[in-house]
Amino acid sequence: MIGFDFFLDRFGVFLSALFIFIGLMSFIYALATLKKKGHRLEFYITMLLIVASGIGVALSYNLLLIFICWEISTFALWRAIGFYREKEGLSAASFAFITNFIAASIMLVGFIMLYIDNGTFNIFEIQQYNMVAVVLIMVGILAKSVTLPLHIWLVPAYKAIPSAIGGCLAGIAENLGAVLFLRLFTSSNFIAPPFFTAVAWIAIVSSLLLGGAALLSNRLRSLLAYSTISQLGFILLGFAVGGTYGTIGGLIYILAHALAKSGLFFGVGIIEDMTGKDDLSSLCSVLKISPALGVLMALLAGSIVGFFPMLGFWAKLMVVIGAVAKSTYLGIGAIIAAVFTLLYNWRFYHELFFAKPSCRLSKIKKPSYTALAVVFVLAMVSLLLGIFFYQPINYLTANGGF
Amino acid sequence: MEFWGVNIYYWIIFLPIAGGLLGFIINRLRSEFNFVALVGTLYFAIRIFLKTRGEPIFDNLAQIGSFNFRFYLDNLTGFILLFVAISAFLVWLYSLKAMSKRPRERVFYLYLSLTLAAANAVVLSGNLIFLFIFWNLLVFSLYGMLQVAKGDQDSSFAARKAITIIGVADYALMLGIVILLVTVGDVDFPVAEKLTLSNPWLITSYILIMIGALAKLGTMPLHTWIPESAKVVPASTLAFIPGSIDKLLGVYLLIRVSYFIFDISGSMSLRILLMVIGVVSIVVMALAALMQKDAQRVLAFSTVSQAGYMVLGIGTGMPVAIAGALFHMLNNVLYKSVLFMTVGSVEDRTRTTDLALLGGLGSKMPVTLFAFVIAVLAISGVPPFNGFYSKWMIYQGIISMSNQLPLWFIFLICAMFGSILTLAYSLKLLHAIFLGQKPESLNKVKEARFVMVVPPLVLALACVVFGVFANIVPLKLFVLPSLPFKIGSIGFWSPNLATILIIVGIIIGLIIYLIGTVSKPKKSRVFVGGETLNEDEARVTGIDFYSSITTFDMLDKTYSFSEGGAFDFYNYLQGAARGLAYIFKNVINYIIVGIYRSIGKIVRAMGNLTSFLHTGELYNYVGWIFLGGIILMLLLAL
Repeated sequence: MIGFDFFLDRFGVFLSALFIFIGLMSFIYALATLKKKGHRLEFYITMLLIVASGIGVALSYNLLLIFICWEISTFALWRAIGFYREKEGLSAASFAFITNFIAASIMLVGFIMLYIDNGTFNIFEIQQYNMVAVVLIMVGILAKSVTLPLHIWLVPAYKAIPSAIGGCLAGIAENLGAVLFLRLFTSSNFIAPPFFTAVAWIAIVSSLLLGGAALLSNRLRSLLAYSTISQLGFILLGFAVGGTYGTIGGLIYILAHALAKSGLFFGVGIIEDMTGKDDLSSLCSVLKISPALGVLMALLAGSIVGFFPMLGFWAKLMVVIGAVAKSTYLGIGAIIAAVFTLLYNWRFYHELFFAKPSCRLSKIKKPSYTALAVVFVLAMVSLLLGIFFYQPINYLTANGGF
Repeated sequence: MEFWGVNIYYWIIFLPIAGGLLGFIINRLRSEFNFVALVGTLYFAIRIFLKTRGEPIFDNLAQIGSFNFRFYLDNLTGFILLFVAISAFLVWLYSLKAMSKRPRERVFYLYLSLTLAAANAVVLSGNLIFLFIFWNLLVFSLYGMLQVAKGDQDSSFAARKAITIIGVADYALMLGIVILLVTVGDVDFPVAEKLTLSNPWLITSYILIMIGALAKLGTMPLHTWIPESAKVVPASTLAFIPGSIDKLLGVYLLIRVSYFIFDISGSMSLRILLMVIGVVSIVVMALAALMQKDAQRVLAFSTVSQAGYMVLGIGTGMPVAIAGALFHMLNNVLYKSVLFMTVGSVEDRTRTTDLALLGGLGSKMPVTLFAFVIAVLAISGVPPFNGFYSKWMIYQGIISMSNQLPLWFIFLICAMFGSILTLAYSLKLLHAIFLGQKPESLNKVKEARFVMVVPPLVLALACVVFGVFANIVPLKLFVLPSLPFKIGSIGFWSPNLATILIIVGIIIGLIIYLIGTVSKPKKSRVFVGGETLNEDEARVTGIDFYSSITTFDMLDKTYSFSEGGAFDFYNYLQGAARGLAYIFKNVINYIIVGIYRSIGKIVRAMGNLTSFLHTGELYNYVGWIFLGGIILMLLLAL
């Protein structure tokens, strides 16, 4: 029923490498910026657990093992979100934990139903997909990959989590749902196509609605949270439409988004450390304080919006091609979501760095240069991978993956 | 086609990038690096131009995933590449002094090179996806370039507006290209068989790509970033981007997609759409330009208006008019750059582009005035300058549509009206800056620096040559070979005869002026409200030339609306997005959070119920046990 059921395939190695890299960047950032507030040991253990669980889900082909790693990451997130033991942090952590745990339990029921039908937890051998089981599993996936309607836990979580681990959350933990979807469902011949169309539309609606929320929100962390939810919609869309473009596009999108979102998270963390404020209405003209951060966050925001030569351009292009290949209306929905992405990202960037040029911020502490270096590395990796985009794409398509 | 062993295409794309990056990093040698890059680009462009006079050239670069990267060079490519390089070189030369000691000039040159490299790559690309990649890069480089402001002004809002509008159009372009890719399979040039617009998805694809091209070209309704940035951005940027590159690239994409990939000569409605967009841009923008009070803004609206002519010409579907549109694009690059550069020279000397503060500079800056006058005559379509020729060709195209389109004369009248308005606002600009009375503050103004005078003069000379020798130089060499069809005779144009007639006309006019009873203007003292005003205070500026238009209430209201941004696509976009966002946020908050709250309430209710049942008394529990036992036994018995 369960054993050391790990395997190496190109998709798995790709994802694991990404998770380890994000973990490394978070680690360096944490070394530089984590305030000396007790329980730092717990912090590093939590971070390692998140990375390990991510790799576990990516490399495993046994559903029960995937579930175990999934739950490890839920547990680790619970510890991480409540790290600064403040009241809102604790309630955010509980909310996140309960939502994910219940959804995962529902997903477990789905797994067990698949086991009963097929006699095995092995992904490669499962042939009969009971629609009820599929729906139950989707509940777990929706919760973990923060898609409407199970997305609510992310916004308070982002507000409470220390920015060092926020990168891990954004880059690793949130992608686990999409990874499971990729392993189990994408391009599967045993599931009826209407399911995929339904998931694709759920993803697009999630992306649109939450993109709208991002346009209106003023707190930096909430903006990041809504932005993440919106982008995860694209990833799920890519995996739902399947095909070469959709699958590879989804994987590249995971890569691009993890790099860019962690970078933005770290950048926002730096700004919070420097100015003590985390609200767009009280911040202004940050470019004057830190021009380097301005350039770097422009690159990262550009990756999310999808400007060449950042990696996000290729990700978005491939996902859109995949979507249009399935149905042009999906493509139109994806483009409208992309327009929202452009609008809210540029509003965020402009309001943060350029607005109100005449105001002066008080009490500016110097940013930690290590932290800036981490953001720089993430931006440069996005840029280089975008220019030499054939490297990841060729790697992924070389022998098919799965 | 090789140079030092590497194919020229790579040179022409990477040389500007390398030059720009090196120049940015090593600031002291910046001019040298940029010089090498730009002259090198010009050299390669000339080589490519000459090479493409024969057969088209294709070259497959790589195949990644299923993206096919290839180059495709035909006559049109060579033509546009040549003028992109010329324009970049002249703007760079001009900027050497125009941008010196301005804030952020280092970054300006970086973005200039990046834009040049991306533009070259766009023109060289043989595949719509390849083109799209670099088109996208142009959005980013445009943003960067617009962040370089004029003096100590803040151009970040204009940059944001530009990136939003162009970004949205970019997404439309992406969708159009992807739909085409998915429907047809591949989007390589040259297309073996031009697609007809039968399928609704193909029509959608065409319209989306057209939107992308029109946003770059800067016609209505996606033009508002141009006047917005014209207030705060230096003249070099304006001369380069909205003046030259955007027109070149926008027309390039529009012609490629209209006549090389699709063939819209068969689709009347699409052509009418293009013509309407063109005509509306011409007239409305020219009217807007009349009332502006800032020189660069007048020119910005003028740019949009001229772009309308190009779209109009392409939309007619008549070969003469399409050739006219291409020629008009070329002419626009020439005279628009002169106008922006000369205004920039004035600004460099006087530190202002506000028309109310300028005046009478003709005596101080004669050479600049000379170039400006030639550009004004060219843009207004006065023979024998180039503007006349290209507009004439477009008019001819419209006239030859008379049997296809019953309302053709409306388009013709609007285009000619636009031409009249062009002359009107250009003369206003001429008077307000160079003629008229000079304010005291400008007494010490000198002629523009040498490096800033040469590029406008060269371009003005080109205007004259391209006009007088229109058949020989521009049309035969550049425009006509670039089109995929042959053109019949364009008309009877004899440069020598026309020039002689015009010179004779001018001489006769001068004689009439001198013979007539013209004496020196009378001077009198001005006595207003108990005070004598001196000459400076009583100065009449040129900005109120056409203010009689504001006596029409409706026009006045329209002007104030549009100045307030009522017709601004950017505002609509933001408004719509925010409106939708508000709806979305409320949907999420009320429906979904409501569901969560209800679940919470249910769970709490269940908890309360069970805790209510746990009374703590032993006898209650014994009672429950017995009850449960009885039920179980009943069930087992049944």
